[in-house]
Amino acid sequence: MAKKTYDLLFKLLLIGDSGVGKTCVLFRFSDDAFNTTFISTIGIDFKIKTVELQGKKIKLQIWDTAGQERFHTITTSYYRGAMGIMLVYDITNGKSFENISKWLRNIDEHANEDVERMLLGNKCDMDDKRVVPKAKGEQIAREHGIRFFETSAKANINIEKAFLTLAEDILRKTPVKEPNSENVDISSGGGVTGWKSKCC
Amino acid sequence: MEEPPLREDEEEEEEEEGEDGDEAGPEGALRKSPFQLTVEDVYDISYVVGRELMALGSDPRVTQLQFKIVRVLEMLETLVNEGNLAVEELRMERDNLRKEVERLRGEGSAPTREVNLGPDKMVVDLTDPNRPRFTLQELRDVLQERNKLKSQLLVVQEELQCYKSGLIPPREGPAGRREKDVLVARANNAGGNKEEKTIIRKLFSFRSGKQT
Repeated sequence: MAKKTYDLLFKLLLIGDSGVGKTCVLFRFSDDAFNTTFISTIGIDFKIKTVELQGKKIKLQIWDTAGQERFHTITTSYYRGAMGIMLVYDITNGKSFENISKWLRNIDEHANEDVERMLLGNKCDMDDKRVVPKAKGEQIAREHGIRFFETSAKANINIEKAFLTLAEDILRKTPVKEPNSENVDISSGGGVTGWKSKCC
Repeated sequence: MEEPPLREDEEEEEEEEGEDGDEAGPEGALRKSPFQLTVEDVYDISYVVGRELMALGSDPRVTQLQFKIVRVLEMLETLVNEGNLAVEELRMERDNLRKEVERLRGEGSAPTREVNLGPDKMVVDLTDPNRPRFTLQELRDVLQERNKLKSQLLVVQEELQCYKSGLIPPREGPAGRREKDVLVARANNAGGNKEEKTIIRKLFSFRSGKQT
């Protein structure tokens, strides 16, 4: 009866200030598309994308959070289930870069200790409006021992690379075992009442 | 040295001008009630006192006294000045309060419900169609349900894809499957894509090989 179309399920989470492009980054990765109109994410959303790494089909369940403070209590309850977290800032928005430490603190407080983290400086196509030098992003990433990419959802720069790299890093830490018998399920994150969708 | 050193000079001119208009003359200031005294009156008094001191001649004792008198007059000037300013302030305050009372009396007919809000409170306009009206918990529940349905849709889509590609023969589907679904799957199966079938089959043979 098992119709599982993947070997592993990785849960990823996108966080960062409102308007930095988290949803666009995800939309580029999942649908290879870009939309210029800004629609603020309400609370939390997710997308699914299956990738193949080292001969394994890996289903990426990517949670997209609202950056706005008013959704904070909803979004933080989804940190717990994440295996990888992408922290996104906007290279044209200094405040979003300054807030990195705040988001890192949120990760420390709400996520699993062994969560794989990654820093993304998005909108790198807008070099004329850049206020955060690439070196500053690299430096803060180095200080926290996390990977860093400058990305552009609009120009499709480093988007796939970032997701695949994060997935690879998680795969590297994943103990080799028989494909688990879990169904294609989506639990709504750690702190929230978990549930499983019945397949078949 | 004969004249008190401070403001005396300037004021003297003013006094001379005013002398014609003010019937009482500089001496009149001395007869006024202390509560009605103005700074100008103080200058009048100092003029009068200064004039009389000068008439006493240049006795060193007079000169000594003159310094003290000047000091006392300066003190008086300051007190009168302060007093007048305070009176002016109180007068303005009184006028404002009077206006405020009148305004409130005017509004008195219409019921005013001025709620004193705390620092963390907000006023909601009930006529605004976009006013906040759901709780965080309600939003959380709706989002959870949305995401649950979305994931179920994905599962169903995947499953449907399996049927479409002929990977799972409809008749071998798990018991309890609704007839309608089977029919749909069958119908789709008829037009199944061969290429798609082989790719997915390859993937599944990998798994089934491991599981058995």
